[in-house]
Amino acid sequence: MSRIPMPLEGIRVADFSWVWAGPFCGMLLAALGAEVIKIEGHKRTDMTRHGVMWRLYDPAPFAIPPNQGMSFNSVNMSKKSVTLDLAKHEARELARRLAAKSDVVLDNLRAGAMKRMGLDYESLRKLNPGIIVISVSSRGQEGPQKDYGGFASIHQAIGGVAYITGYPDDGPSASGGDADIMNAATAAFTVMAALYHREQTGEGQFIDYSQTEGVTSLMGELLLGYELNGEIPERMGNAHPWFAPHNVYRCWGVDRWVALEVHTDEEFVALCKVIGQPSLASDPRFATREARKRNEATLDKIIGQWTRQRDRDMVVNDFCKAGLAAAPSRNGRDLYADPHLRDRGAFVKVQHPELGELELVGLPWKMSESPIELKCAPMLGQDNDYVFGEILGLSRMEIDDLREREIIY
Amino acid sequence: MARGALTGLKVLEYATMVSGPYCGKLFADLGADVIKVEPPEGDPARHFGPFPKSGPHPERSALFLYNNTSKRGITLDLDKAAGLAAFKRLLQWADVLIDNHPPQRLEKLGLGWEAIHEMNPRLIYTSITPYGRTGRRANVKGDEVTLIQAGGLGNILPARSMDIDRAPVKLGGYAVGYHGAIAAATATMGGVFGRIKTGRGQLIDVSLQEVVLMLVRPNVAGNRYNDTTWSRVPDRPPAMGRTETKDGYIIIGAAEDHHFRAFIELMGNPEWGASPAWNSNTYRARHGMEIAPMINEWAAQQTKDDIHHRGAKKGIPMGPVNSVEDLLRDGQYAFRGYFVEVEHPEVGKHKYAGWPHQMTASPPQVSRPAPMLGQHNHEVLCSVLGYTEEEFEHLSKGR
Repeated sequence: MSRIPMPLEGIRVADFSWVWAGPFCGMLLAALGAEVIKIEGHKRTDMTRHGVMWRLYDPAPFAIPPNQGMSFNSVNMSKKSVTLDLAKHEARELARRLAAKSDVVLDNLRAGAMKRMGLDYESLRKLNPGIIVISVSSRGQEGPQKDYGGFASIHQAIGGVAYITGYPDDGPSASGGDADIMNAATAAFTVMAALYHREQTGEGQFIDYSQTEGVTSLMGELLLGYELNGEIPERMGNAHPWFAPHNVYRCWGVDRWVALEVHTDEEFVALCKVIGQPSLASDPRFATREARKRNEATLDKIIGQWTRQRDRDMVVNDFCKAGLAAAPSRNGRDLYADPHLRDRGAFVKVQHPELGELELVGLPWKMSESPIELKCAPMLGQDNDYVFGEILGLSRMEIDDLREREIIY
Repeated sequence: MARGALTGLKVLEYATMVSGPYCGKLFADLGADVIKVEPPEGDPARHFGPFPKSGPHPERSALFLYNNTSKRGITLDLDKAAGLAAFKRLLQWADVLIDNHPPQRLEKLGLGWEAIHEMNPRLIYTSITPYGRTGRRANVKGDEVTLIQAGGLGNILPARSMDIDRAPVKLGGYAVGYHGAIAAATATMGGVFGRIKTGRGQLIDVSLQEVVLMLVRPNVAGNRYNDTTWSRVPDRPPAMGRTETKDGYIIIGAAEDHHFRAFIELMGNPEWGASPAWNSNTYRARHGMEIAPMINEWAAQQTKDDIHHRGAKKGIPMGPVNSVEDLLRDGQYAFRGYFVEVEHPEVGKHKYAGWPHQMTASPPQVSRPAPMLGQHNHEVLCSVLGYTEEEFEHLSKGR
């Protein structure tokens, strides 16, 4: 049987991005079959290669060899890697030549950085009229805050989600890296939309992507709500404006929790049976959705007292068997141990040349005709010969000379 | 009007609330022809608000109005023969089906994946479910509070909780739904390109639990292989991060050594800052608690916007914790024209959140406000599906 081509086979992406928001965008395109070439250098290495986020602090400075940071390996899978010292003119020229032979150029540098290297859309379209360039910056390429930097939690703060996350009697909360991953996925969708446009019209374009706005677009109903009624939405913890119970409850043990949400009266009847208090279902304090919401604090206490004395996973099982929406609050180890995620093949195994087998998170969807096979993230510079030799057509001697002079470096 | 990037793509949306509808909106605002099928009583999002002061009304729910722009909307009762027949014709019309019901919903109507695939082999069927269509938890229910915990992100929220005995929380709003929509839209575009290559559609099975897991993919791997922490207790330099000012909170991200030096400058070079020891990230991590009171005291005298601008100009990553009101007044958002005006017959003209992606050749736009319940019944059935007036009357009566 002949192999089914992957959706983005034949598309080449020159990926100048680093950390998470740009790199995971490139990884998504690579997973779907694009040839994604990550451009770094020994002088300007993606910092996630060396370090990790939220490391355990060690009295001795903590540095991971450049291929072994998991924060790199988890968001750069299936890519190729080249090294160029982009501070040098000749290296920029090679980068431009590579970009000109690419369909998409991706970066998440500060506004204007690509232009200074001659890698902006206006320069590149002269070399390749159909090119698609996407810059995934903090606040956008133009405007009063274009030079301000930021990372995920800053974007969550500015974008508005931090304000509404947390308990009403406590401060707001940003979570961190998830905003980068989200923006990466939105950017990947946008790149594919632009590729579709090019497929239909032959036209390339520039995509000016703002990560703070990416956060804000995920709370459009709250902005419009404020337009409609003038009320600023505040933090609600785990509460829902209409439904109760709708919370995370403590279970037996240390830091063990079960999340539970009940929407309908039928679900509430089922819950009351599970917790051995069937009479609660007809108790006027809880019999209707409105009543449950009014008496939410009392209800939370009753449920919490029951869960507190029980094992989390048994509680989840009992709730789910009764047809309720319930889940444990999983930490990293719980996720790897989750049999359902195992059933689904949510983790993928890759062979890392230095570390051996790694089990990393796959993609959150399954495609019946285009099964995605993720490969290990690239070792720094592993594809220099292929990219400079085969794609740019440099001779062995030229490549050696460029290496010697630390252009390819 | 500029041509949208996805002009010509035909999307059938059979979805409610957020994950499916926002996915449909991503397509619709880029020019795809999206037809939304609602049950006769409407998408439940019509009843969730927020509403104008006049109170709940199915045409005035911001959740529905925002997530359904640029679409045409029809009502069909799939449990009646005529409604189901029209739905089947729409399946033949469409390039993409977005469905966020449990798979059993369509299966019971004889429209499981195999049947749909046979009916329209080119159709891409994007199915969004809480835990995916396979595996032992395939039939478990899930929504915002359960899924964010099931997928791991919830377990580290709120970040730097001072009280480990307090329950983890969700992200505000409908975070799981929105993130699921983005993942589904990305996967669906993969399906669209797959079809350009092969001429065949496919089933795309999106698990919302795994979408949440995707958001913590670096944390999960770091926790297992690099000994990184997994926690919501304040184990990171407490002087950084969320800080309270005179008029609200700001997040300070002076993570690198040069950021922190600039931050000491921003504070007006306090005496303690003179020590070169603060130039070390590791030192700061261990001694941050000692200077936290000084930083808090200084911040309490500042306003969040003022130190944001002054700090960011010095290169310090910082961001005020904006409310929706702050956002609607923000100079950068205004400069980029982020908010777009949309006029809707029931609620009038208002600013809506726009898009993070500005595209030079095919800009996103709201081509029409969210549909009123059944607004395009006649147009879609007669103009798109070619029903005669008589057939339309028949369907309307039996609907």
